Amino acid sequence: MKLLNFRYLALVLLLLPARLFPQSDKLLPAHCQIQYAGGMGFVSAGIGWEYCKHWETDVFFGYLPRYSTKEAKGTFTLKENYIPWTKKMKGNYKIAPLTCGMYINSVLDDDFWISAPDKYPNMYYSFSTKLRFHFYVGQRVTYMMPPEKCSRIKSISVFYELSSNDLYVLSAIQNERLNLFDILRFSFGVKLGFVN
Amino acid sequence: MKTIRGKLLITLCIAFQSCEMLDFVEYHPYDGHISGATGVNAANIARIEKSCRGKTVVRFAFMGDTQRHYDETEDFVNAVNARNDIDFVIHGGDIADFGLTREFEWMRDIMNELTVPYVVIIGNHDCLANGSEVFCKIFGDENFTFTAGATKFVCLNTNAIEYNYSHPVPDFSFIENQIDTNSSEYSKTVVAMHAPPFCEQFNNNIAKEFQNLIRNFPSLQFCLNAHEHNLTTKDHFDDGIIYYGTPSIDKRQYILFTLTPNGYDYEITEF
Repeated sequence: MKLLNFRYLALVLLLLPARLFPQSDKLLPAHCQIQYAGGMGFVSAGIGWEYCKHWETDVFFGYLPRYSTKEAKGTFTLKENYIPWTKKMKGNYKIAPLTCGMYINSVLDDDFWISAPDKYPNMYYSFSTKLRFHFYVGQRVTYMMPPEKCSRIKSISVFYELSSNDLYVLSAIQNERLNLFDILRFSFGVKLGFVN
Repeated sequence: MKTIRGKLLITLCIAFQSCEMLDFVEYHPYDGHISGATGVNAANIARIEKSCRGKTVVRFAFMGDTQRHYDETEDFVNAVNARNDIDFVIHGGDIADFGLTREFEWMRDIMNELTVPYVVIIGNHDCLANGSEVFCKIFGDENFTFTAGATKFVCLNTNAIEYNYSHPVPDFSFIENQIDTNSSEYSKTVVAMHAPPFCEQFNNNIAKEFQNLIRNFPSLQFCLNAHEHNLTTKDHFDDGIIYYGTPSIDKRQYILFTLTPNGYDYEITEF
């Protein structure tokens, strides 16, 4: 039942930008992207929507190889980005000196749960192994396609992010032994924009 | 142009590799992508068996439930390193708190600073999500034994509720096999586990059968458990076999056992 609730929540969040902008073209994704690492898989790919000038909502499906575990896994990520300002540069470049946001990652695997199964006494494990809450800061460079090219792809961006998650931060706050380098993670990706 | 592209590609590859080597990228908190030492228990057991061979008095520290207490575990390691009368350390399990891959590595790296060898028993928190798979890779089998001097240590996975009957916990076949294995090489036995009988983790339907089985080991001295986070000494089955429960590491205590030809002593040690 709780899993169902999460799916409804994800659906509502996905449709939120569309509700804010009822024009039909706003329903179409504004960009697609591919990201390496960042706690959402070895590589993740997805689409996203842009609205209210500074905001973006992305969804990703990620692939996580098995490494030392018994099977490879898929992941799903819902990501909210805030880009406070962008700066036009020479040529067709623009940069976002700061991007920030948070994302919720879910492992698509039965060994992971949102809340502890009924077999356990009440409040036995009070956290979720399935849902991880990540936060990040990063930067982005965008190349705007010259209008005369008439390409469907209007822009190409490369970005990097430094991220951490709820459980790492909790562990680091409580222990001097752990420092920022233990809990910060580097990731990067490419984004193709479909709108000007 | 082509050479520039080639150089760029090589630079990118090197950047990729160095990021990964520096642990600065992570695919997932539960990715099981392990860096650093694996098979820790087996390597340390070889050291224990070598250093304790022929010894009539063996002294070891029993601690556990280090979950998310990195600072206290580091203090424990320093306290043990400051002494020179301990042969080895047994970690009673719950080395991780959430079962995250990184937690096992962080704790392993702290425990690896011990100058004496140590072994880790699997705890229920170590089984969370894919934790048991990571535990087995970094530390070793969920059931294992080793011999220190004249005493055989039988270390067992007893976290039955975590496994949904997918395989036997505790594993009676393993225990039966061990009763007959190398029986000429030891004269006394200690059985160690994370969750003791009659706690919510244990398969209590077979608690008495478990006790009857382990009593077949030559001269069973006592049992060790963690999980309960406080010092406990319980004669669960009224048969004189005491289960010693270690305080969790945040209590800044461990139990120091001394096995002698005539029996054993123990003391609660603070650090």
